[in-house]
Amino acid sequence: MALFLHVLKIIAIVIVALFALTFTVYIFNLDMKLTAAIEPWLLKHYDKIDRDQHL
Amino acid sequence: MAKQIGADRFGDFYIEGSRVRKRREWRGFVDTMYDYSRWLKIMMTLGKFVMKPRNVKAMFRYRWMANYLAVPMMVDRHTQGLRGEYLRICHEEQDLVIDDVAKLLDSLFRGDRRIGNDKKFSDKVVLVDENEMTAVMMGFPTLKVLSRETPSTYVSVLLNQRAACHYIDVAQEFGLAGDVCPMPEAEAGVSIDDDAPILGACAIQCNTTCDGSLLGNGVISQRLEHEDGIPVFQLAAPLRHREDDVQEYAAQEIRNAIAFVEKHTGVKWDWKAYFECAKRVNYATKCRQEWLEMNRTPYPQVFGSNLALYTETNYMAICGRVPAFEKADRKITKLARQAYAKKKMAAKEYRHRAIVWGVQSHYYMDFLVWLLNCWGIVPLTDMLSMVSTKEIAEVDTPENREQAIYDMAWLTENMIMRNRTHGGYKVLLDELWEFVEMFNADMVILWEHMSCKALDGMHGLFEEKAREKGIPLVWVSHDLFDPRIISRQGVRDQINSFMRTVMQEEPIDPSLEILPDDQSW
Repeated sequence: MALFLHVLKIIAIVIVALFALTFTVYIFNLDMKLTAAIEPWLLKHYDKIDRDQHL
Repeated sequence: MAKQIGADRFGDFYIEGSRVRKRREWRGFVDTMYDYSRWLKIMMTLGKFVMKPRNVKAMFRYRWMANYLAVPMMVDRHTQGLRGEYLRICHEEQDLVIDDVAKLLDSLFRGDRRIGNDKKFSDKVVLVDENEMTAVMMGFPTLKVLSRETPSTYVSVLLNQRAACHYIDVAQEFGLAGDVCPMPEAEAGVSIDDDAPILGACAIQCNTTCDGSLLGNGVISQRLEHEDGIPVFQLAAPLRHREDDVQEYAAQEIRNAIAFVEKHTGVKWDWKAYFECAKRVNYATKCRQEWLEMNRTPYPQVFGSNLALYTETNYMAICGRVPAFEKADRKITKLARQAYAKKKMAAKEYRHRAIVWGVQSHYYMDFLVWLLNCWGIVPLTDMLSMVSTKEIAEVDTPENREQAIYDMAWLTENMIMRNRTHGGYKVLLDELWEFVEMFNADMVILWEHMSCKALDGMHGLFEEKAREKGIPLVWVSHDLFDPRIISRQGVRDQINSFMRTVMQEEPIDPSLEILPDDQSW
């Protein structure tokens, strides 16, 4: 029983921690702030790709 | 931060020179948790998508894939200020569209000769234009109907206002005219820039509406047919779609298109599948009519971008072929009925009831949300949502099989935009004023897509009629896919000056009048 409660406690802590983490990302728009930082790097990468440009 | 609708100053969410906003909205506990749960769902959809190595490979190959970094922000833009049923309706639609586009991308890259190169899969693919009614594919359930232009240009500009600029520039660098519609021009630019996935047993292009569209199709089909070896059928639907004498020709085009697909895929037309799709088309029409009926009352429910974006997807790109959209129609209708019964409002104040006419600015689709939050203008319906309401034959009988050909022709002729920009004076001009009366509108917002020659010629006639009817009409110029010509603020300024000078009004939320979103996605 004690072991079961211990496991339940760990699961609850993990769920609360995950919620706190993801909700912080959500409310402060951190996901979009991160992807906005990635975009310029990606655009530079596309410029380097060889392309068969023609009509 | 408040539960109450309209309690926030939305302008405070913007950051000067930034792609993104400061934070997401607090909508009260229940609605914030709901929005958060849907954000998690979107993140899971995106996570599932990037789990596949071929999709990551495509991310590094195709420039337009960078726009998909902005998916959650697109949803945030359209849900601004929404609470309760309105928020749920918006998510119901947007999340389904995101899921559908993720599946479309996954399929494109699976068959793409550069990425997944699954030849067997590619042989079951029929490519279609972005701006094309997919009715002609309703009887081919075992084939994959994929559009390369939908994710590369159409959705990309919804995600990132500047998404098409690179491709417009490429097209013009290669000598294509700069005064055509930037949508087909950008699509041609993707092809010229060697940035379109290569796959498919065959393709069907449609003579959408204009010189730009014909130009774009020519460039794209040249590469498809002569270099990639993918045969292309040109589905030339008549432009005078209200005339009886063109219907036989339109029906013959449908017969020819079906025969073309059968020939190049080896798959036979399936009437059972067609009539199942037809039932879903009719159900979608029934739901849309019910929403429009509510919008005629003082308590409109499915309006603005909730109506426009979903109709564009469901009516044209889906056309009864995806059962999940029928489920969404049902849920949206249920939510709308609930809100209507409670006489709910999407904003704290409704000052004007507007019909939005013309071809809307694609890089500023959330303008309709802005109209409501900033000036209390309710966009009851828009030109692109006023599509066919005709019930098509849905029971499989020998007579209905013949009728079905005419129904598919009718839907193709009446695809979004072309059913109004072509077809004569009545469908573009006269019916606008009929809708103004029908919806008890007190204002007309007329998009002036400056590269759309089909509408530009009618400028004076619209004004003349507005004066005659005594209805305030405001022109809002834009260049569809290119915010460098007229920015989002340039679009807003036209409304701001009209509302202050002509209407002598003050905004409901003054923080939204001038926004630093020039660099925003």
